[in-house]
Amino acid sequence: MKKMITLNVNDREYDLVIPVNRTLTQVLRENLKLTGTKQGCGVGDCGSCTILMDGRPVNSCLVLAAEAEGHKIETIEGLSEEGQLHPLQQAFVEHGSIQCGFCSPGMILSAKALLDKNPSPGETEIREAISGNLCRCTGYQKIVDAIQSVAKKV
Amino acid sequence: MLLPKFDYHAPTTIDEACSMLGHYGAKAKILAGGTDLLVHMKKRLLSPEQIISLNKIEGLKEAFSQNGTGLVLGPLSTAAYLADSRLIQERISVLAQGASRLGSPLIRNRATVGGNLITARPASDLAPPLLVLSAKVTLKGPRGERTLPLEDFFLGPGQTAVQADEILTKILIPNIQGISAGAYIKLGTRKALEISLVNTACFLELAQDGSIKLARVALGAVAPIPLLTPSVSKILAGVKPKNMDDPVFREAARAAAQESKPITDHRGSADYRRYMVEILTWRTLKNAYSQLMEKV
Repeated sequence: MKKMITLNVNDREYDLVIPVNRTLTQVLRENLKLTGTKQGCGVGDCGSCTILMDGRPVNSCLVLAAEAEGHKIETIEGLSEEGQLHPLQQAFVEHGSIQCGFCSPGMILSAKALLDKNPSPGETEIREAISGNLCRCTGYQKIVDAIQSVAKKV
Repeated sequence: MLLPKFDYHAPTTIDEACSMLGHYGAKAKILAGGTDLLVHMKKRLLSPEQIISLNKIEGLKEAFSQNGTGLVLGPLSTAAYLADSRLIQERISVLAQGASRLGSPLIRNRATVGGNLITARPASDLAPPLLVLSAKVTLKGPRGERTLPLEDFFLGPGQTAVQADEILTKILIPNIQGISAGAYIKLGTRKALEISLVNTACFLELAQDGSIKLARVALGAVAPIPLLTPSVSKILAGVKPKNMDDPVFREAARAAAQESKPITDHRGSADYRRYMVEILTWRTLKNAYSQLMEKV
């Protein structure tokens, strides 16, 4: 079964015809070529597929693309403006928070959702906010440092 | 991991969803948050031919106060919503505590209370808080609507009283008359995305004279279903504890451990779990009672 859907991704509307068993991760990566969103475990454990849905971070591997219709979707590609990295992206670069990079898009989006809600979180709140995102390089401290550095600036 | 093939339906009213489910019966599955169903489908534990999503139906995502009867939770209220809602935090904080410990922040933004009950996992984070709050569930099917206490809802791991053509449409939490407090503790080996080794919820309500009018303790991950412990309620009813260190709480906790039926698995041994039931029940009771002492 296929379905015609309209997705709002990074403030752009996309009209698509997709099989209904496609997840949002698959459609973002394969139909829209937005490969910043990663497919990791596929079952909601690792967080590498994190995207923002109406401002809230979710595992896009557990969202049917058809169910994302009518919601505002934000991916890592939507963060930079006019070639300028988002402050969080810049901080990840500066703090050496990116090792293999597979978790970075998800980490950054979880952190963005936190900072949008609470501009000056403490370390505990930061660690809680990224607790659904696994970094298999185990570089958590530098990730927390990067987020904290942006939190201070706000 | 890929999803198997299915047909997808997104009805806009409960009645429409019910008639679809009536038509497809056991071939269909209801989709709420999808954090459990889609995982099971990816692992090929389930391959429903039809998916009926409730997400296009208005008004199922919130909790509201219903005049006279209590609180109504929409079945699609997410764990994040329950954890952050002012209404839930103020009126039934034990549920907000349970919801805040479910999965991860990412999962909590999708996982729903209805889904958490329907999947009927023994380690559910929402069932013990809802059991101690004497919650009832409303099921709607082709033969009409019925409401049953949550304690009659769970039949076994993954098994509930819901018929193949029924939809969970409401969760009701009766009004609480007196001063009350609750507490929830989840024991796991890590802090996020954890399946409980043991979890415990308790709820205490005081009578006018300061004695305990109602005590309820529920346990997770130590029986085939989330378990209420009547013996604890019996021990504490009518008691006027001296303070939170009163030995009666330890006695009640020991009774809870005796009621639990844990098994040994890779997460922990039965003996360890039984002992943890005692400790955690004791701690939740002391916590709830100290909250009560601050309120009077």
